[in-house]
Amino acid sequence: MTLTNKDLDIKITNAEFERFRDFFYRKTGIRFEDSKRYFVDKRLVDRVKKTGAHSFRDYFTAMRFQASGAELQELINIMTVNETYFFREAHQFDCMVEELLDEIVTTQQKKELKIWSIPSSTGEEPYSIAIYLMERWPSIERVDIELMSSDIDSSVLEKAKAGIFNERSVQNLGPSLKKKYFTKTEHGLYQATDDLRSCVHFSKVNLNEQKDMQKYRDIDLIFCRNVLIYFDDVSRRNAAEALYDALAPGGFIFLGHSESMSRISSLFKVRKFKEALAYQKPIA
Amino acid sequence: MVLKKASAIASNPNTAPAVRGLQEWLTLLDSQDTDERRLAARALGEYSVATPALLNALAREKSIRVKGAILVSLQCIGGHRVLEGLLPFLRSENAALRNGVIEILQGMPEEIGEYIKDLLHDHDSDVRIFAIDILQTLAHPDSPNWLIDVILHDKHINVVATAIDRLTEIGTPEMLPAISAVKARFPGEPYIEFVVNLAVKRLTEE
Repeated sequence: MTLTNKDLDIKITNAEFERFRDFFYRKTGIRFEDSKRYFVDKRLVDRVKKTGAHSFRDYFTAMRFQASGAELQELINIMTVNETYFFREAHQFDCMVEELLDEIVTTQQKKELKIWSIPSSTGEEPYSIAIYLMERWPSIERVDIELMSSDIDSSVLEKAKAGIFNERSVQNLGPSLKKKYFTKTEHGLYQATDDLRSCVHFSKVNLNEQKDMQKYRDIDLIFCRNVLIYFDDVSRRNAAEALYDALAPGGFIFLGHSESMSRISSLFKVRKFKEALAYQKPIA
Repeated sequence: MVLKKASAIASNPNTAPAVRGLQEWLTLLDSQDTDERRLAARALGEYSVATPALLNALAREKSIRVKGAILVSLQCIGGHRVLEGLLPFLRSENAALRNGVIEILQGMPEEIGEYIKDLLHDHDSDVRIFAIDILQTLAHPDSPNWLIDVILHDKHINVVATAIDRLTEIGTPEMLPAISAVKARFPGEPYIEFVVNLAVKRLTEE
């Protein structure tokens, strides 16, 4: 009888977990707390089995020294599973309407602002920004906002433009917001109103394509959350430079909670606001 | 609804960048204006023939922002010519530039293999330490063996201690005898004692 690795009872020891944790932190900036141990172990064991390795040690060695980095990328993908929904990481939206936009308008005396959400995914983020602006930022009465959103994937862009969401996507929205900005379809889904959809201009953009990125300049605020983590080193640095180019002097970027621009580039100034941390392009 | 209605940014002539060719970007790399030099450095990342110009600019550039853009462009171009051009910067007195170069070299596992042995045997102990820094996150299967070679043969205590420190992260229990043996090469050196004990403890826990 042949024993396959699927029959093996693979366990991650404390020392192995520590080593993996240090390695993953060094590579991604994400540090797993002890409370995430079960989550990490489960996914690691799954990858050990799927790759045909016979122990965590074999797997870890092969992954660490794999020149293509493909397995590391796979690990990053499964360790940072993302699900998009309205008002996700809302503290950054709070920061936007409570402090950040007012600072830009006041210090730079702007009457028109550009906000860019990239990647748009299926639209939850840009529409969340639009709703926050209309509901929570009184200055919108006197400041024009151009809200843009982009993604590399044309199929998700089509979904974003259609603006149809399931119950899970809109779970963080109260009944009054759902009523105001959505109509319920006969299948029990929520479709963004024409007014809401017309607030966002969607476009196809590859963050690592200079020709695409050159069209975007003088942006005041960029939401670029949970995407750089999926890039390799070269693409990540290249994207950071491109985002810097896209920003107006004094403009800001929000990244995902597990991402840090300081680990990628020294171009930006870290700004701590009450609700969130943002990266600012120096004014001069 | 007072949010400005969406407009097609791509069709707005004010946002369209000036189209320039290779020669113009090369000229702008010498511009007096920092922003122009940075833009040129970014654009030249798409031209592998610009490698020598970018390397020359890296050597003379004073602006950190432009240096960063040059390094990213060289990283995008990649290949042996870039790698060979970057190696001399390991001897730079500028720590930020040196670290930037080390980070790029760490991302070139397929190219750097044939150069790493020479770096690990460089006459300058600092360069040998920087080579060990490259190995720290280099995805190359020979990395642990190169480090073992260092701890068995290098005579400089800081070089050996740095190599043991890296082996603490990427070594395996099979390497314990070689690591333990280093104490005998540097008897009475508390720093070696410390890093060896730490490595042994860490690798034994596996």
